[in-house]
Amino acid sequence: MNFAYYPGCSAKGSSSDYESSTQAVCRALDITLEEIPGWNCCGSTPAHAVDTELSAALCVRNLDIAARQGADLLLTPCPSCLSNLRAAARRMEKPAFRQRVNELLDAPAAETFPEVTSVMQGIARQIDRETLAARVQTSLKGLRLAAYYGCLMSRPSELMRFEDPENPLLMEGLLSACGAEMVDFPLKTACCGASFGIPERAMTARNSGRILELARRLGVDAVVTACPLCQMNLDLRQKQAGRACETSFHLPVLYFTQMLGLALGLKRNELGLNKLAVSANGLLEKMDNLRRADAVEGGRS
Amino acid sequence: MSVLDGKELRIVGFLCNWCSYGGADTAGVARATQPTDLRIIRVPCSGRVDPLFIIKALFNGADGVLVSGCHPRDCHYSSGNFYARRRLEVLKQFLPVLGIDDRRFAYTWVSASEGQRWQHVVTQFTKQIHDLGPAPRLEDAEPLLKVADMALTALRPLGTGQHAALDALKAAIRAKLPELECIIGWQQGRDAAHTVPLFMRTPEDVDKLVWGPFNVCNPAVYLPSFKGKKVGVVVKGCDSRSVVELLQENLIAREDVTVFSLPCEGTLDMARVDQELGRYTTIDNVAYDAAHVIITADGVAHSFCMADCAQGKCYGCATPSAVLADERLGTPVEVTPSDVTPPELALLDAMTLKERLSFWHGQMQRCLRCYACRNACPMCVCRDYCISDSRDPHWMTQEASAKEKLFFQTIHALHLAGRCTGCGECQRACPVGIPILALRQQIARAVAQLFDGYKPGLHPEDVPPLLGYEVVEQNIHERDWK
Amino acid sequence: MRIGVFICHCGSNIAGTVDCAKVAHIARAYPDVVYATDPMYTCAEPGQAAIEAAIHEYKLDGVVVASCSPRMHEPTFRRTVERAGLNRYMFEMANIREHVSWIGKDMEANTNKAAELVRLAVEKLRNNVPLTAKQFDVNKRVLVIGGGVAGIQAALDCADGGVPVVLVEREATIGGKMAKLDKTFPTVDCSACILGPKMVDVAQHPNITLYACAEVEDVSGYVGNFTVKIRKRATYVDWSKCTGCGACTEKCPSKKSPDAFNEFTGTTTAISIAFPQAIPKKAVINPQHCRQLTKGKCGVCAKVCPTGAINYDMQDEIVTEEVGSIVAATGYDLMDWSVYGEYGGGNYPDVITALQYERLMSASGPTGGHIVRPSDGREPKNIVFVQCVGSRDKSVGRPYCSGFCCMYTAKQAILTKDHIPDSQSFVFYMDIRAPGKMYDEFTRRAIEEYGTEYIRGRVSQIYPNGNGRLTVMGVDTLLGRQVEIQADLVVLAVGIEASKGSPQLAEKLRISYDSYGFFMESHVKLKPVETNTAGVFLAGVCQGAKDIPASVAQGSAAAAKVLALFAKHKLESDPQIAQVDMRRCVACGKCIRCCPFGAIKETEFRGEAKAQVVETVCQGCGLCTSTCPQGAIQLSHATDNQILAEVNALCQC
Repeated sequence: MNFAYYPGCSAKGSSSDYESSTQAVCRALDITLEEIPGWNCCGSTPAHAVDTELSAALCVRNLDIAARQGADLLLTPCPSCLSNLRAAARRMEKPAFRQRVNELLDAPAAETFPEVTSVMQGIARQIDRETLAARVQTSLKGLRLAAYYGCLMSRPSELMRFEDPENPLLMEGLLSACGAEMVDFPLKTACCGASFGIPERAMTARNSGRILELARRLGVDAVVTACPLCQMNLDLRQKQAGRACETSFHLPVLYFTQMLGLALGLKRNELGLNKLAVSANGLLEKMDNLRRADAVEGGRS
Repeated sequence: MSVLDGKELRIVGFLCNWCSYGGADTAGVARATQPTDLRIIRVPCSGRVDPLFIIKALFNGADGVLVSGCHPRDCHYSSGNFYARRRLEVLKQFLPVLGIDDRRFAYTWVSASEGQRWQHVVTQFTKQIHDLGPAPRLEDAEPLLKVADMALTALRPLGTGQHAALDALKAAIRAKLPELECIIGWQQGRDAAHTVPLFMRTPEDVDKLVWGPFNVCNPAVYLPSFKGKKVGVVVKGCDSRSVVELLQENLIAREDVTVFSLPCEGTLDMARVDQELGRYTTIDNVAYDAAHVIITADGVAHSFCMADCAQGKCYGCATPSAVLADERLGTPVEVTPSDVTPPELALLDAMTLKERLSFWHGQMQRCLRCYACRNACPMCVCRDYCISDSRDPHWMTQEASAKEKLFFQTIHALHLAGRCTGCGECQRACPVGIPILALRQQIARAVAQLFDGYKPGLHPEDVPPLLGYEVVEQNIHERDWK
Repeated sequence: MRIGVFICHCGSNIAGTVDCAKVAHIARAYPDVVYATDPMYTCAEPGQAAIEAAIHEYKLDGVVVASCSPRMHEPTFRRTVERAGLNRYMFEMANIREHVSWIGKDMEANTNKAAELVRLAVEKLRNNVPLTAKQFDVNKRVLVIGGGVAGIQAALDCADGGVPVVLVEREATIGGKMAKLDKTFPTVDCSACILGPKMVDVAQHPNITLYACAEVEDVSGYVGNFTVKIRKRATYVDWSKCTGCGACTEKCPSKKSPDAFNEFTGTTTAISIAFPQAIPKKAVINPQHCRQLTKGKCGVCAKVCPTGAINYDMQDEIVTEEVGSIVAATGYDLMDWSVYGEYGGGNYPDVITALQYERLMSASGPTGGHIVRPSDGREPKNIVFVQCVGSRDKSVGRPYCSGFCCMYTAKQAILTKDHIPDSQSFVFYMDIRAPGKMYDEFTRRAIEEYGTEYIRGRVSQIYPNGNGRLTVMGVDTLLGRQVEIQADLVVLAVGIEASKGSPQLAEKLRISYDSYGFFMESHVKLKPVETNTAGVFLAGVCQGAKDIPASVAQGSAAAAKVLALFAKHKLESDPQIAQVDMRRCVACGKCIRCCPFGAIKETEFRGEAKAQVVETVCQGCGLCTSTCPQGAIQLSHATDNQILAEVNALCQC
């Protein structure tokens, strides 16, 4: 299968650790990502709020490149990019809309686009549970994790197509295959505050704080995310969130690709763990201790 | 009395008494302005609307027909509208083959409280009919005569069947003869190039049994007249489907009928054979090889290749071996079914609506109204009580117009909906060679498309689709009136 | 034939846009029409008298009235012609008001259309024949299906009216949902105290035969003469011997049997009596949990039973009852609220249904009337009530209102405060629907006197917040802000649906049901108790959501219908039914297969199989007529020839 890859803007900036761990994990799982040449921003939150057609034109340009590249599937790590790309592809099914967007482009777009999906859904589709479990080098057994999808990953439901948009279980499936204990995390699709970190700082801190507080009460070792913005709000703004809840948190917030990378035994510097604001050292230490204990146990028997 | 010239078109409505008639009343009470064209006939239930009423109206001057009943699940009679939905949808898919625009007929559901919806439906439908304009009349269409292209490829090799296990069959029949009143088969007819039915009652009769490409007629047609008696029948694959259908309809009892079968290699299109032979005095000889029949008539040899001269139905036949048999002789032949459009239907598919109207006008002018088609049909079970001969009910007049003749063909086709196995006896029996099988084929195609590929005459326990319903129909996409 | 035609002006209702005199003039030229006129008000007393006079004067044998809808006045005019000596079916109506004069103002088009509709009626009438109703006997016994409050009321009223009643109840006790309630609104009186005496009346009434643990297996026959097969499920206790002493339930060692009566809030013994006031007060063994029946060893109940009533070998039994009428009162069940994943989908022990809450509040419930949290048995302080969980929610396919949740929630909030004075109740609601007598006052009391906090808005999520409480997140749409409440207990007002098996029962009764399984009444407004199957009536929630007073009222109404039906010694069958022409019938059975009422059966006629219509069962839909290829079965008054005459009147070119 031919996978085109659309990293999205944050991959080249704020979430470079997501990007490097995605690349590393896909490589390890024999999923070859071909970054589409000359891609542009999907328009993110502002574009579609201002002009549907212009916003679609931005996405369609990327879809068009992927189509001409002959890709079967276009993967993107960011749920916001995914939402925009899928929405644009859906809108292009209407001839009148297609015509107007084509007028905005240099040349009319391809008639059909490859399917777009998230890196998470892409991995889950390509690698079944048993295969993944067989590839695990360092089991996550003994770690208690909360999967946090954020509000965008599964919504709008008809576009994102998760089995249960209110209770997605994809990340749980991947990480439990690696041995982790996944808690039932009721706020997994709650909003972290998203792009309101600056204009509505207090609200964002409150939202993120609620998520972190529940995660802490559930006694997790880390929160695992799939969205650059969520990760930033929960990780980078963890102090603000703590203040809003009149407490202080120290909870590592990792991308699911980083967690997978650890399980697959990838080099830790490849996974960008040093980029985390809240250090994951405690987590790594716990992991190391657990595995050492396993080795002792194994040696004894 | 006629419609108002230039103002109105003839639109007939059949409304169920409980919901839609009430809905029309509600619209009236609300003074909901509507076009004046529609004339409403009140019926107890949409299930009472025989599709033939609609054909009758469309053949006799209606420009549009609208049927409206209770919404599914709301039927006053709990399920009448479910049956209506299937029958009316089949009708809708049938109309174009006659050359009638299916947009001239619509069915819908309006409840007694939906005055506004009724107004909307009437307005929309009337506008649609006005957009279509006055319906073209069969009798005004320029007659057009065209023949089907018979250059066909069969799903399986066709042959002359001369190596069939005829002796073994005769032995099997002789063994069963004492238990049976009679066994129906074929014997040589007026000469070696024609067969007629054979009713075997004695061992000597069994000697007369023949097998081969001249065994064209369908012996199942005689079975219902033996109802209640122990009887045997020798069948080709296609004939066996008629037997199954008769069983399904309770017209013969399984324990009364013994079915003998041989795999069929195809039968000759006798119309084309006779045309080739022309006028002759005697058949001198009939010889066979694996693929040819050589008939010598008045000293002249005519060779007929089975692959070229078989009956139209043989090319698409997927059941050369009987689908049901008690005594199965010879090696059964498996054929993978394929959705081949039969030649008669392909001929009509290629025409415009206008051409089809012309075609049927031309063909029906040639009809003698001899009813051989009906008499040869194994599923025409009404026998002496065919409604074409009846005054109560009085569906047809005795007028010899193309319209009345086509109406009879339509009655026959609609009565066969979900029942016709496509044995083609109607067309084969037609003395003037009208391709009337096309009408039955269109019905069969519509039934298969609507009801999960249903093919009549395969399983005696099947519920025929028009005698059943689903609360939610998978393949019936009702019209959206928005 | 000699036909008279009357073109009604209906004041100016018709004459305003139809030239009635001209229509009458045109009608005079129609075949067989010997008289045509245009009266001002045909349905008025002088108008009807004029029809009678014309019938006599012109020796008419058929009458056409062109006026309003036949759905309005067909019965009126049929009586008119009958008074003048004609058969009532020698009459036809043309609807020139609702279908002509009221829907357009074009006088020319309307007059032309009216004349055509009259022509249609004349042609139909020319094919009409006199029809006579047949009379048959009535079996004056009634079957009531369902022993909830509606069924109990219907049964008692019928029994008091002297009619023998067969009452069939699926559960082990009658009483239905009402028996499970602690108190009732708006009077807050004890449910068991007001229902109990009625239940006892049922048990003691000489006219009532009660089958509990029983279900209707099959129904055949027709109004006046139904035959009903009832399956009595094996209870493994011989009820003729059981005295309800309860010795068995005390000693039963299997105590983990699910307690359906308590809405699964607790467990019970494998042999049990549903509750102390159960009627019949008889023990029943749950075969899935009885050690004797599952493992083959125990037999404790058989040992302790003083009357030797235990019978482990008992089998289901089918009894047949003959009745003349049937009342369906099968009530409701709660919808499966586990579709609400955002409320935990049934996985959080402290998120319960309102019916479970009733059992927690009830003195006869599993906690003896103490409100405690199912998870840890602590008394809750903050209680959140969520309305419309599965009501008015298209996203889960439940667009309808369950009718009584607003009221019982107000009641539960009031009772909560009575039970736990330092508690605080919150109610998330969409609209407060309190239209009954004293209802709005009652909800006001909950808010004003009991301090219940009503929040207008939906709850978006409920989740355990890790410190033993539940976080309820919702929206206050009046203040336009998000709300978050830390709750100890959440009570869901779960929407109702027709009780399990309703569609199957409807099929047996041959009555219609809607897509939610509720039975369809014959007319939404004017026939709310009748069904489209003669002799079958409805009572209670099986027909649609309603509260106790409305259910009781409908129970009585159904009883009144039964008693009215039974007041006649003979019933008349509608002659507009199908008839078989024996000569034409070939017994192919197509009509039998599709008749919605099972009204056609195979019979033997002169040695041949033929179809035969059971006149009293046939409802006159005519499906058989359009099914029969040979036209051998004809619906009287809508025969092929009659409809063809109408088609031909319109389409004749």
